[in-house]
Amino acid sequence: MTESRTDFHGHLGELEEEALSTLELTSTALDQAIEAVLTRDTELAVMVIDGDDRIDGRYLDVHQGVLNLLARQAPVASDLRLTAAVLHTIHHVERMGDLCVNIAKMVSLMGEPPPGSEEIIAKVEAAGNQARDQIRQAEVAFRQRNVNLAENLVSQDDVIDRLNRQIFREAVEIGGDDDHAREWGAHVMLIARYIERIGDNTVDIGEQIAFVVTGEFREFTDASRPGGVSATG
Amino acid sequence: MTRTTPPMVRPRTTVTTREDPPRTTSASRPTDRSARRVELEGLTAYYGDNAAVQGVSLEFRPSEVTAIIGPSGCGKSTLVRCVNRMHEEIPGTRVEGAVKLDGEDIYGPGIDPVAVRAAIGMVFQKPNPFPTMSVFDNVAAGLRLTGKRGRNLNARVEAALRGAGLWDEVKDRLGKPGSALSGGQQQRLCIARAIAVEPEVVLMDEPCSALDPQATLRIEELITELKNRYTIAIVTHNMQQAARVADSTAFMLNGELVEHALTDKIFTNPSDKRTEDYVTGRFG
Repeated sequence: MTESRTDFHGHLGELEEEALSTLELTSTALDQAIEAVLTRDTELAVMVIDGDDRIDGRYLDVHQGVLNLLARQAPVASDLRLTAAVLHTIHHVERMGDLCVNIAKMVSLMGEPPPGSEEIIAKVEAAGNQARDQIRQAEVAFRQRNVNLAENLVSQDDVIDRLNRQIFREAVEIGGDDDHAREWGAHVMLIARYIERIGDNTVDIGEQIAFVVTGEFREFTDASRPGGVSATG
Repeated sequence: MTRTTPPMVRPRTTVTTREDPPRTTSASRPTDRSARRVELEGLTAYYGDNAAVQGVSLEFRPSEVTAIIGPSGCGKSTLVRCVNRMHEEIPGTRVEGAVKLDGEDIYGPGIDPVAVRAAIGMVFQKPNPFPTMSVFDNVAAGLRLTGKRGRNLNARVEAALRGAGLWDEVKDRLGKPGSALSGGQQQRLCIARAIAVEPEVVLMDEPCSALDPQATLRIEELITELKNRYTIAIVTHNMQQAARVADSTAFMLNGELVEHALTDKIFTNPSDKRTEDYVTGRFG
């Protein structure tokens, strides 16, 4: 018996590679966006904003490629699951790129950090590093078809969630009666929220990995029903 | 089943709705339909000493389409030919195991193969209307051969042609030769001939492989309509056809049944790696 759909499987593999390499682009964009926030580097922030066109272009490429495969190759079984997962994943990647842009847009609005903001800034950096690590973990888990590594993203994401809550509290406190400090705090809250959403997107990609491997779509976490919920009930 | 008489046709209630709950395997869903159930139990079919079908247990559920897929030579055509006792017409062949129609073994003692074939019709790969017969006579032939002609022959021929989705296209040329129809029309004429005798089960062996895409889709649409009244099994090389028309799909390999499950499952998440490899084109 021999492989009889080499061309199709080659195209599918290329689409997966393009989606995962775009994940690397978002990892870089996130690093740059956080660095721009920490150093108040508006030029670097503009680079992140402009660079998102590349991520969007990859999204369009993969989206069109998946449609072509569905129309022309009628993938089934594990090929169908991978095709669907690639389409979902590139959508999450595109969203993460947009969130990096949102973070970068904060740089020119924030101005000087108010006194006593060092701990908040450190937590933003920690949350950004954590999100970047999760992006990389999602990529490795996808390449290895590693369900355990994919599921581990949930506990990893708890770290970001905790930091997000802490940043929220401290940003409220730092505002006081100072208009600038309140405004700065509001921007930091938004940044923390964007990072938190990036983390959620990595968990969503993890769910796609588990779907490819097991054939069952299962939400690892569900905000309305903690403990997870299966698509099959 | 009575013996040596045409007993296998019984009054039937047409089922037009499907209210069964979702299920994960074809064996897990109850049904109360009046269409008949076919059960293969340990079916083995030989050509001489060669077992082309080996110990297959499989169910064709009432009012459903069961597709049988697998590579060439896997035994799928032989299997369906056993279901209406055509396999035994080839010298040197024999069958072991049981094929039950609503629980009654069609290979039981005293069962008339002709009565079996009246109850379990067959449509073949290549449209095979009787070439010198008219459209009308092609459909009437089955009725005449099985003694079901009755006094309302015209009405029964019309009903069969309507059932096969052909009436509107041929009603003004019923006297023309069946061989003058297009390939797709000829195949629907053969389906009309098969259903004219009111079988319980319709077996189709690659019914679209000689047809163009449009005629193929027309036959597939017809299969979907017919399954409300008949239990249908279709052998096909075209996996997309199985995916389009079948409620459940059975995958055969080297004479054995590898997996039988809901078509959705076979084409999204098959249980057996051999099925996975076949449907994804990783061998074959």
